[in-house]
Amino acid sequence: MIKVKNLKKHFGDLEVLRGIDEHISQGEVVVVIGPSGSGKSTFLRCLNLLETVTEGEVYVDDELINDPKVDVNKIRQKMGMVFQQFNLFPHLTIMENITLAPVLLKKMTKEEAVKRGQELLARVNLAEKADAYPAQLSGGQKQRVAIARALAMDPEIMLFDEPTSALDPEMVGEVLDVMKDLAKAGMTMVIVTHEMGFAREVATRVLFMDQGVVMESGTPEEIFGNPQNERTRDFLSKVL
Amino acid sequence: MTGLSAWAADFANTFYKCFIREDRYKLLISGIGVTIRVSLIAVTLGILIGLVVALCNLSNKKPLKVIGGIYTDVIRGTPSVTQLMIIYFVIFATVNIPKWIIAGIAFGINSGAYVSEIIRAGILSVDKGQTEAGRSLGLNGYQTMIHIVIPQAVKNIFPALCNEFIVLIKETAIVGYVGLMDIQKAGDFIKSATFVAFMPLIGTAVIYYVLIKLLTLFFKKIEERLRKSEIR
Repeated sequence: MIKVKNLKKHFGDLEVLRGIDEHISQGEVVVVIGPSGSGKSTFLRCLNLLETVTEGEVYVDDELINDPKVDVNKIRQKMGMVFQQFNLFPHLTIMENITLAPVLLKKMTKEEAVKRGQELLARVNLAEKADAYPAQLSGGQKQRVAIARALAMDPEIMLFDEPTSALDPEMVGEVLDVMKDLAKAGMTMVIVTHEMGFAREVATRVLFMDQGVVMESGTPEEIFGNPQNERTRDFLSKVL
Repeated sequence: MTGLSAWAADFANTFYKCFIREDRYKLLISGIGVTIRVSLIAVTLGILIGLVVALCNLSNKKPLKVIGGIYTDVIRGTPSVTQLMIIYFVIFATVNIPKWIIAGIAFGINSGAYVSEIIRAGILSVDKGQTEAGRSLGLNGYQTMIHIVIPQAVKNIFPALCNEFIVLIKETAIVGYVGLMDIQKAGDFIKSATFVAFMPLIGTAVIYYVLIKLLTLFFKKIEERLRKSEIR
């Protein structure tokens, strides 16, 4: 579903990604862990071209997406993105946040989008908040709306960029629960997170990144139970 | 007591002379009409030009940036009276359209430069994450600008925009330079005709004050509505 070949990203002289090769298949839940500055978020952002790729190739459904001729907006509609800072649209109600893109991009009529929005809000346990504004919601609620908003475009893949890092501790659980439900429903997911317990429980595969490369990749049992790489062991000993 | 009643009689007398005799109040009323019409054109045009120029200045295309930059630079670097007279006596010299429309265009061109800087600041004030969220949903750059960034920018810059429009309306008091009879010119005319300075000039000031007060109250109402999404 996603194929990455020799992906490199430079910010000026700074090499953030130094050659990543990765293959993510349908239904996989890939959790990316690693110290800050290791390039995890940049890797995720390259997958939907929020960062321009310096070198290498990214394929989604066998289509080379970092080709200048490709319609970036069409590609992005296949991928939902959830941000650390939620990035809900503060001037729109919760329902308008969810229906804006599907209606504007003519995926649905207004009525269909609202109906779908109600289903999605029910799925993230926020059905009663449809007419509220983002400022009236807690962090955990905002992030659940952000997930519903991304799902409204019926994406094939969901990307999560540290979705719980900006939350108060007591709200982390409610967001992770929604993500677990998504994983159970078979959604292909790539998740950058510091929640090791979640990674262990939900991931089908864990990538350990450091210094702009994938140092180690394997099942949660392999990575957490028997890490092979020196740096993986060092990192896990600090966070677990 | 006699002093006060004498003063009151004198006041009533001057008032009558300046505003009632020879229907002079009608001059002021038609002056209000001129000021309002010129201002309406100027504000509308100012917003349109301001938005386009702001987008030019923010664009990463070099020619657009240069054009936007020169426009802002020239307009802000020359007096509005000079601009008004150039537009009236040079550019529109041979064109036969009503004076107030030409004046409105001149003030619109002037205001656009200031509005563009306000709008540019407003767009830059919207968090980058908002654009990213819009783009990540598949919206193109234009859709993201129109539906996500600009509505938030407008809310942020609304007080500054109101300020600019108030300044603009008062600025139109120079249209007498191209022979338009606005409020200011009407007051001035009455002063010359009656040889009384106090009454017509204070009257002029009061009319401007009331107009702007009404407008300020109207802006306040709009701002309250714009801020309704911030209620917690």
